[in-house]
Amino acid sequence: MPALKVHNIVFRHDDLFELQLERGDIPFEPGACMALFNDDGDSRPYSISAGTKENILRFLIRRVPNGRVSDWLARRNPGDKVQASDPFGWFRPGRSTPTVERCVFIATGTGTGIAPFLSHLRSNPAQPPEACLYGVRQLADAFALDELDFLEGFRLAVSRDSGPDHFHGRVTGLCEQIPLGEGIHYYLCGLDTMIEETSRWLEASGIDYTHIHREIFFYEDGQD
Amino acid sequence: MKMDKTDAWLTTSQNEPRGYIQPQTLEELWFHTGTNCNLRCPFCFEGSKPGDNRIEFLTLENARRFIDEALDLGVKKFSFTGGEPFVNPEFVAILEAALEHRPCLVLTNATEPLMNQMADVLRLRDKPNLLKFRVSLDHPDPAKHDESRGKGNFKKALDTLGRLHRAGFGVSIARLMLSGEDSAAVDRSYAPFFRIAGVPEDITIIKFPEFHLPGSFPDVPEITETCMTRYLNAEQRAAFMCNFSKMIVRKNGQCGVYACTLVDDVKGYDLGATLKAAMEKRVMLGHHRCYSCFACGASCSEGT
Repeated sequence: MPALKVHNIVFRHDDLFELQLERGDIPFEPGACMALFNDDGDSRPYSISAGTKENILRFLIRRVPNGRVSDWLARRNPGDKVQASDPFGWFRPGRSTPTVERCVFIATGTGTGIAPFLSHLRSNPAQPPEACLYGVRQLADAFALDELDFLEGFRLAVSRDSGPDHFHGRVTGLCEQIPLGEGIHYYLCGLDTMIEETSRWLEASGIDYTHIHREIFFYEDGQD
Repeated sequence: MKMDKTDAWLTTSQNEPRGYIQPQTLEELWFHTGTNCNLRCPFCFEGSKPGDNRIEFLTLENARRFIDEALDLGVKKFSFTGGEPFVNPEFVAILEAALEHRPCLVLTNATEPLMNQMADVLRLRDKPNLLKFRVSLDHPDPAKHDESRGKGNFKKALDTLGRLHRAGFGVSIARLMLSGEDSAAVDRSYAPFFRIAGVPEDITIIKFPEFHLPGSFPDVPEITETCMTRYLNAEQRAAFMCNFSKMIVRKNGQCGVYACTLVDDVKGYDLGATLKAAMEKRVMLGHHRCYSCFACGASCSEGT
């Protein structure tokens, strides 16, 4: 199990940060996650948000109050070591199955659940999603807007802040704007309630179950 | 007790000959797909969790070698456990290869890793042999199940169970067995959920006793040779998994043949690199989980 050196930690605010680890020669695919360990051996899986050609591994992390791992990671400094598993995962945006080639897809993420989509975009900039819906609680929680704003079909939903450039409400309030089509695959990542509500809406709208791909990051009650 | 091949391997702490099973025929071959799992259940006897690699991912190449050897030995079915098998990136390909030859059983938590690969799984209906899934539904109370497995996972697993059944796959469930429980009553309390999922109310329910974490040494009675003949008849002895099955486990880049699905945390139960050699070896019943098989008739096997 590799021990990776902390390259940097960039805080968006006290409870949200990007952890950057030196990558070495670790291969990964967009959508993969790695389990990161604290020094007591507790681990949590985090999706990689870096592109496959970058020299560092990036992770978007929400510091959970009293979270065993996220809080410990937030207190690391450049040069510290973090134990990590090899990359793994079953969520591959833009691929209809792990073994099938690229597909037309729609990305929907909440909070740090944007990470696998950023990894895909940074790895395959010529293969963007048809639409990308991104939900956050406050504007300060939104990562990489400078990259996402360029996407056609990008919509930002902010549940607690209103403003002229985004939808005020939960991202599920944008469901009606999701393009529907038999050949489209739908990738959902983030909060459990968003994934459940959106999955149900998609199935009710006639989308085949096998075209809906889910990755739950966190739960509404704040479970780490 | 340290279970390596010293005297303690052959005799109990009271210096009596330890009970054993002399394997007969290889009817079922289990594959451990790796201890990497999307869930981290506190009771998991494999210690599986995200990123765990105590037992590494089995590869298609690893599996093919043992599928071929098992066929030569007359194996009747292949079974797969983890971790969560669908976390293994080569699992669907492994399953595909196995289904060309024999019926298969997959133990799964039936959450995102399987849900996200359902399109690949549905294709396996075209294979020449039956595929059966055993879904973990620990308690008939969803809240208790979710306490360990994570919020919403009972509902997801139940939903996936129903989808698998409607797609034509065989299904069963595994649950935890609590000491002193009224087993028939607990089994019956799953019925309303089976109705919701649209699965028959009489599907097989496999019950597992407390197996403790890997590497633990709970205080359980030791099994002597005398116990094996005084308390069990020939049919009961033959029902021990180590009599008719083995499990392939990959550690440190090498595959080993283990005596059964429950003892992969003790090196002494690595019976070698080939099934033929492993089947010739006597299995000493010295692991604390052997006592579960002795006392409860615990078995990971089921008909396909």
